[in-house]
Amino acid sequence: MKPAPFDHVRASTLDHAVETLVAEDGDAKVLAGGQSLVPLLAMRLAQPTTLVDLGGLRELDYIRDDGTHLEIGAMTRSRAVEKSRLVGEALPLLPAALRHVGHVTIRNRGTLGGSVAHADPAAEAPSVLRALDAEIIATGPGGRRTIAAADFFQGFLVSALEPEEILTAIRIPKQAAGSVVAVEEFTRRHGDFALVAVLGAARLDPAGEIAEVRLSVAGAANTPLRADAAEDLLVGQAPTPDVVAAAATAVAEATDPGGDIHAPAEYRRHLAAVLTRRCLHRLFTHAERSAAA
Amino acid sequence: MTQQEVPPGLIGARVRRKEDPRLLTGRAQFVDDVVLPGMLEAAVLRSPHPHARILSIDVSAALELPGVFAVLTGEDVRAACATPQPVVWRMIPDQRMTDQYALAVDKVRYVGQAVAVVAAVDRYVAEDALGLVEVEYEVLQPVVTLDDALAEGAPLLYEEWPDNVSCRQTIPKGDAAAAFAEADVVVTETLSYGRQMGTPLETRGAVMSWDPFTDQLEGWMSTQSPNLTRDLLGEVLGLPVDHIRVRTPHVGGGFGNKFDFYGEEVLAALLSKRTGRPVKVIEDRLESFVANAHSREQRIEVSVAAKSDGTIIGMRGTVWAVLGGQLATVGIGPCWLSMALMAGPYDIPNVEATVVGVVTNRSPYGSYRGWGQPKANFAHERIIDKLAHELGMPPNEVRRRNLIASDKFPYPSQVFFYDSGNYAECLDMAEQAVADRGWAKRRDAAAEEGRSLGIGYSFHIEISALGPSKIMNQAGLQHSSFDEEVVRIDSAGGVTVRTGLSAMGQGIETALAQVAAQTLGVPLDTVKVLHGDTETNPFTGYGTGASRGAALGGGALLRASTRLRDKVLRIAAHILEASAEDLEITDGVVTVKGTPGGPSVTMRQIGDAAYRRLDGKLPDGEDPTLEERDVLDPDNVAFSYGTTAVLAEVDRETGRVELLDYLLAHDCGTVINPMIVDGQIHGGATQGIGGALFEEIVYSPEGQPLTTTFMDYLIPTASEIPTFETLHMATTADHIPGGFKGMGEAGTIGAASAITAAIENAVPDLDLRLNRLPVTPPRLLDALTTATPKDPS
Repeated sequence: MKPAPFDHVRASTLDHAVETLVAEDGDAKVLAGGQSLVPLLAMRLAQPTTLVDLGGLRELDYIRDDGTHLEIGAMTRSRAVEKSRLVGEALPLLPAALRHVGHVTIRNRGTLGGSVAHADPAAEAPSVLRALDAEIIATGPGGRRTIAAADFFQGFLVSALEPEEILTAIRIPKQAAGSVVAVEEFTRRHGDFALVAVLGAARLDPAGEIAEVRLSVAGAANTPLRADAAEDLLVGQAPTPDVVAAAATAVAEATDPGGDIHAPAEYRRHLAAVLTRRCLHRLFTHAERSAAA
Repeated sequence: MTQQEVPPGLIGARVRRKEDPRLLTGRAQFVDDVVLPGMLEAAVLRSPHPHARILSIDVSAALELPGVFAVLTGEDVRAACATPQPVVWRMIPDQRMTDQYALAVDKVRYVGQAVAVVAAVDRYVAEDALGLVEVEYEVLQPVVTLDDALAEGAPLLYEEWPDNVSCRQTIPKGDAAAAFAEADVVVTETLSYGRQMGTPLETRGAVMSWDPFTDQLEGWMSTQSPNLTRDLLGEVLGLPVDHIRVRTPHVGGGFGNKFDFYGEEVLAALLSKRTGRPVKVIEDRLESFVANAHSREQRIEVSVAAKSDGTIIGMRGTVWAVLGGQLATVGIGPCWLSMALMAGPYDIPNVEATVVGVVTNRSPYGSYRGWGQPKANFAHERIIDKLAHELGMPPNEVRRRNLIASDKFPYPSQVFFYDSGNYAECLDMAEQAVADRGWAKRRDAAAEEGRSLGIGYSFHIEISALGPSKIMNQAGLQHSSFDEEVVRIDSAGGVTVRTGLSAMGQGIETALAQVAAQTLGVPLDTVKVLHGDTETNPFTGYGTGASRGAALGGGALLRASTRLRDKVLRIAAHILEASAEDLEITDGVVTVKGTPGGPSVTMRQIGDAAYRRLDGKLPDGEDPTLEERDVLDPDNVAFSYGTTAVLAEVDRETGRVELLDYLLAHDCGTVINPMIVDGQIHGGATQGIGGALFEEIVYSPEGQPLTTTFMDYLIPTASEIPTFETLHMATTADHIPGGFKGMGEAGTIGAASAITAAIENAVPDLDLRLNRLPVTPPRLLDALTTATPKDPS
């Protein structure tokens, strides 16, 4: 478990990083927190000629409030995002989900940008981005471009990033005031990747009907899923058990899970329904409580 | 039975472990910490195919890579070795042997089998070179599962054999056929125990240095069995053992894996001989999942014949051992033990049990803590539960009716004599503890809320203190199983114990120090325990396994220390002009009994009298120095036992099981250090929980291992285990000095049985029968969905 030889380039500026990627013509890999890439290197499953290390780019480590959105630099450590008061107030779903990422030591090293760029459908951060309609900002030789989360995740570990592009920031619209959030994640052990996770955010209107609901699912397809059909069933309805059950069924139907040694596909689909029901139950119980308060 | 009474003192005291400051502050030395001048590092090329013929190997490109010093293939190894890799357990005399070398010679028979080895300036270059070794394979159809191996016309792993069966043996006791013919009720079950392995934090490793001028081989190895390793290295390499020195630094977890003797040690030795430099080989985690001994996987068919009152009159069973592509050091050993202990703690007059060893294209099957016993336990406890269900009796009533009564010891089982025990008392103790903790109330209150909690029990026995050497030899062991210990008091009164046992985190330094300190009457911190060097330390037969260290090492040391104490008292009597019988030693000071403040001699003065200023102090006729050795080759093994009780919650929507509470009532004779025993039991139980709920080595239908990282092979972590409670009772082993019994494997044995029973108990409305481990959430959900609802009447 020793990596094959590679050159290590510690980028001095973002431009330097992009230039190096261009020069290596697709054979370089970008190193952020290293929590996914380093094991792949050690097992020689990834054998890049060059590692472009973003560790020195302080300009990618920030959390900024521009009024309607939070913009988070790609090199911001997961733990810093999780503990940020700004994020907690504007995007409560994000820290609620990040608490399920590995263990604290992993979140101390791992970065938000790295996790999103890795595009693991079972990871939490990509699903948050789908639920909250985030935008991903990429920088390449042609400059910056913005990619909607809905377009970014294209397959298992496949994103819309070009080989010469670096994910530099994530821009997320602030959640509406009064939103409550819930994350229901099923793992075999604490800190493992989710077999399935359902992430939800919701608001009830004063009449007790569902004013807004956002649901996404990790681990149930080759990309993180947004459960649009289920959301459509829920909005404008009172959150009765029947409505919740119908939404759970809709979520399960929208999934396209793979099977592996930890669980067959049918089990994951079943979990998606169970976890959706539990997630919605928590959401609406909290929402009623916060509406009453 | 005679109960041995050890006076209260350090034996039985919950003292802190002497080794822990070193281990916890990172100052302990492990094999990978050994760095020698000029040392090379090796890496092993492993087969990517489960079953293939090696047509050719071309190492020329690898040899040309700068930094590469040597490359060996199977032919090189065969030419350099006097024998194939040894199999030390040969219980079944006509077993077909697989006779493999450290590198595959003609065929590969599992993914991960070593094919070539490279020595280079460092591990990075060595791994680069592996990519340059060209191996041409003719891929053969793999034999992946037990059924594949037994199928009509199955491909043969060993073409000279008629089938894939390595061995078969049936051991009868009484007349099982008659018992089954006259039974009121017969229940049968087929059980599958998943493939698992021990996963010590420190993987295996060795540093070998072969002096080309003297043919002296010096090795640093992470092994539980230093003397066995030395003897086997001698056999394989054709070297006299006085040319071989095996040093074992701290072993970072053993779990039985490191009892076995692997090929990598041989390869490092041969590479060192070839290059004239020391060679280090450290297995990485990826390799460890295929190169380390696998264990546990069996299919077990078990039946009992009983009277309608629950009395079991007969048992039949067959253990189908899913061996790997070659025999490991312990051969059929663990699976044979599953067969030999299938009747467990029960007084069953008629037993007929069979073991069948079947080779498959999986990694070899070797030692793992529990060594056959968790499977035997799963067989007898599952069938007890099923019989109870059939008869409508509480399972513990069936247990009570059949447990061996305390006046029946020594009890002749199918194979062994169980030495001593109070089994029923142990079961009572656990039930009382469960009642005291209010588990039934918790279960019933949870049921009101729609939650599913259940209580499960199991009773286990554990063979320990292995064992009488000559009897073990008769049973097929190609080694001894006594233990030798040496204790010395130095010229300043300090005590040094020398042991051949390995320190692998189990606390042997502390346990032996407690025995020596109490026996000699000295403070614990004046006793030092040295281990880890075959050149200077005594011989332990077998190794630091089979739950024998504390029992046999402790027993031998107790006897040696007692004789040394006698000598101390003779010298003190001479100095004090008193009679030795009137003296006592407390805290390292010898005084005349009943004369507080009277004349005294310190251990320091005794040391001085025996080594330095002898005149007038050392009695005439007494040899200078203060040293004793003792060898304990016991008359019998010693059986520990315990009752496990588990409170579990089942999530009926997802199949998840959470363990809410866990206790073990346990008896290992005289307890040397209850804290160490608790820790051993908790650690073992954690591995047992792993086997019950989490851990499984999975192969694809094509024979590829799919669980080669800790992301996929799920060992329970602190978050998955409950708080453990251990309750002790002490029925001593009357044939072991001190009355000690071993307990290193206890926790692993009864875990799965109790957990599966608790799960079934949690869904009383369903006729749920769990017969496959591990019970993963998808499997349990499936079982819950397909189980028949119980007739409400």
